[in-house]
Amino acid sequence: MAAQRIEEPRKEVKLYFKIIILLVTLVLAFLGGREFYELRHFKETFVSSPGLTEVKMLSDYLPSLKGTWIDTPIFVYDSGVPGGTVLYMANVHPYEPAASLSAYILMENIKVKKGKVFVIPQGNRSASTTGMLANAYPKFFHIKTSFGEKKFRIGDRGTNPLDQWPDPFTYVHYPSRQNLAYQDIRNMNRTYPGRANGTLTERASFAIMELIRKEKIDLSIDVHEASLMYPVVSTYVAHERSFDIAMMAAMTLTATSFDMKCESSPKSLRGLSHREWGDFSDTLPVLMETPEPFIDRVVGPMTEELFTEGKDEFLAVAAKHGLTYVPYTLDFGSPLWYRCGRHLSGALEVINQMNQFMPEKEVIVEWPTYDQLKEHDCGFFFHDPAKADQKLVFKI
Amino acid sequence: MIMLEQIIHVFYFVLAGFIGLLILRSFFKRTSRTGIIYDIVYAYCFIPFLLRILGIK
Repeated sequence: MAAQRIEEPRKEVKLYFKIIILLVTLVLAFLGGREFYELRHFKETFVSSPGLTEVKMLSDYLPSLKGTWIDTPIFVYDSGVPGGTVLYMANVHPYEPAASLSAYILMENIKVKKGKVFVIPQGNRSASTTGMLANAYPKFFHIKTSFGEKKFRIGDRGTNPLDQWPDPFTYVHYPSRQNLAYQDIRNMNRTYPGRANGTLTERASFAIMELIRKEKIDLSIDVHEASLMYPVVSTYVAHERSFDIAMMAAMTLTATSFDMKCESSPKSLRGLSHREWGDFSDTLPVLMETPEPFIDRVVGPMTEELFTEGKDEFLAVAAKHGLTYVPYTLDFGSPLWYRCGRHLSGALEVINQMNQFMPEKEVIVEWPTYDQLKEHDCGFFFHDPAKADQKLVFKI
Repeated sequence: MIMLEQIIHVFYFVLAGFIGLLILRSFFKRTSRTGIIYDIVYAYCFIPFLLRILGIK
């Protein structure tokens, strides 16, 4: 005998009840949306050192970026004394905060005595205006200073989908035609050398290439952070033309300050700064990575403390079993001063090595070092915007 | 190519708006699954489309 389906009697929900549900939904949408809106529109404040000579925009190198969320300021510190030119670029991946924080500390305190320094604190500004989907990231992190707390955005790895959408099924890198993961079409460190008429991220990458070519940048430093279970943590990654400089810098730092490895940029993996900057311009590219426990897959709750102090018991267990590529203890963690200090001294050391290898491109520059950050922590190096010369106060 | 990118980008926003409207219509008027649980599901599913149309998320 065939089974007969028993239809449930329909229970219509009254209209007034539906309207109540919709109103509750709109309240929830407002509460959630307010947080997203705050992250999207919040601006970070910093006070530049008096050595600032010019502020450019990325759109100066590719006008089609003007008015877009990926357009970003470029701060120029020119000593006026002929010498080499250095680019310090941070926050291509805005969920790696020691990069932008180190750039701000650098710009608040830089003194250039010879040559010229370009600094981009928000490499992919669009990516810094959205949080990491599904990872329950906090929206902001805070740094204690003598004049109160400073607040910074915690962004995503790729360009905000509000600015570049949809993603393709497969991302075909230009010009190599290598197939990469689909979401990497919004990852600026997979879209170099870019193209003038491509996607928003490809255009931003192209503008960076134009900056390097037109300004004749001798040494380009791309600043990142890496998980401790990723082999390229605490490492310089260098193009074959800059490998000698990076290797000497790594050896010097390991002997004098902190452990630093050096790896050669793979020729078969396309779209990365340390590969394409070197192949498509005359610059010497070096990428730096510091240990950021927050982005390791095994860590516990994604809190602001984990972001700034880097202490996690699960990662400590993994380290005990030899699963991390750098030593890690729960007592020390991986605090922001340590990560920023590594970047700032790491950059100074590659500049120092370039000066020795190529005296005609000498750059003489000062900014806070690893030892100074160890002694004073990050907040010490920021200046109060309320008391500063307002011409040197910037909001990004 | 930039123009084509822009058109596709805007088209996807329009598409999100259209699907959002369909969800809203089904929230008020549908012939099957008329219980309150489904009302809550429809209302919840409407949120991401609303935020996308408004350019918030």
